[in-house]
Amino acid sequence: MDHGLGLWLFAVSLGASALGGMLGMASGIFIVPILTEFGHVDVRTAIGASLVSVIACSCGSASPFLKGGLVNVRLAIVLEVATTSGALTGVLLIGVIPTAYLFFWFAVILALSAQQMLTRRGEAAATSAGTGGWGTALGLDGSYPDRGRDVEYRVQRLPLGMLLMYGAGLISALLGIGSGVLKIPAMDTALRLPIKVSSATSNFMIGVTAAASAGAYFLHGDVVTAVAGPVALGSVVGSVLGARVLMAVSNERVRLLFVVVLLALAVQMALSGFGINLAGVSK
Amino acid sequence: MTGTAAKGPRLESLLAGLLRYGTWLASAVTGAGLAMSLAGVEGTDVVAAGVALLIALPVLRVLVMLGAFILNRDYRLVIVAAVVLMIILAGLVIGLSSSNPLTH
Repeated sequence: MDHGLGLWLFAVSLGASALGGMLGMASGIFIVPILTEFGHVDVRTAIGASLVSVIACSCGSASPFLKGGLVNVRLAIVLEVATTSGALTGVLLIGVIPTAYLFFWFAVILALSAQQMLTRRGEAAATSAGTGGWGTALGLDGSYPDRGRDVEYRVQRLPLGMLLMYGAGLISALLGIGSGVLKIPAMDTALRLPIKVSSATSNFMIGVTAAASAGAYFLHGDVVTAVAGPVALGSVVGSVLGARVLMAVSNERVRLLFVVVLLALAVQMALSGFGINLAGVSK
Repeated sequence: MTGTAAKGPRLESLLAGLLRYGTWLASAVTGAGLAMSLAGVEGTDVVAAGVALLIALPVLRVLVMLGAFILNRDYRLVIVAAVVLMIILAGLVIGLSSSNPLTH
């Protein structure tokens, strides 16, 4: 095992997860670009390691959300049928899609994330007005505690939500990310969940989605332990630190830094797709 | 509605404990393996075990949910949880089979 590389991977993952943790999102979106562009790690090795870090972040941070009653576990398991199906499709496609395409898709997802960071998420419209439908039939409607009282909500347009979740699972397996960038609009816009419930439930689901593809890659020998180990450990430590620091720093400044980093990585990934490399020339 | 609400928190604290302590255990094993490698002892297999534990943790979480739905006689969600497990299993089978185009 290369000690220098291991320590570098640990430090980078710690930093990325701390930054992600400050804004309540997983660090997967940073891990692949940083590993491929600056660490000269093979893109598929980077995807495998990133998926493991996504699982670490999801599982490591789930406990307070579950205890706070913010995760809709019944809805989560139903949506996981769609996300894991998408992940399975991604596993089958990854050998077929050329690496350059993966880089382009990644650049698009990074740019979308930056845009989503800038537009503030609003509260979904009056949630009790829906007509029931699939969500009510399966007993998925729920309530969550908000300022001392229980707020009830209904799950709406479940089929559309499932379709978007399938896409999120597919992107997750192909790019090694949690793909909150697709899950969050699906939950806010299609299912019309309250913002706290959609954030907590999305975070709960990304672990299983990532495990579906990471398990396949692991058994196939594509999860390189020397890379995935330090990345996973760094992510756990970083996400714990990030949640602590969250209280201390200005959220607006972190948000701005986040957008700048996302856009810089998007440009770099797009250039890599064309075979141009600006940042990683020195070796 | 109230029926599920009464059973809900117990399942949720069970899952919270499983994920929290599972993450600590997997991290501890991974960290021990990495420390062994730094100290010059062969630790690659220990790191691999830690990573495997981490990947297995969400699958175990679905298994626990399946058990809880069976106990609650919530058969529609029993089927849903079983389908999720079968999809994950299918992924593992694809990963194991050598004749697939995953990464070459």
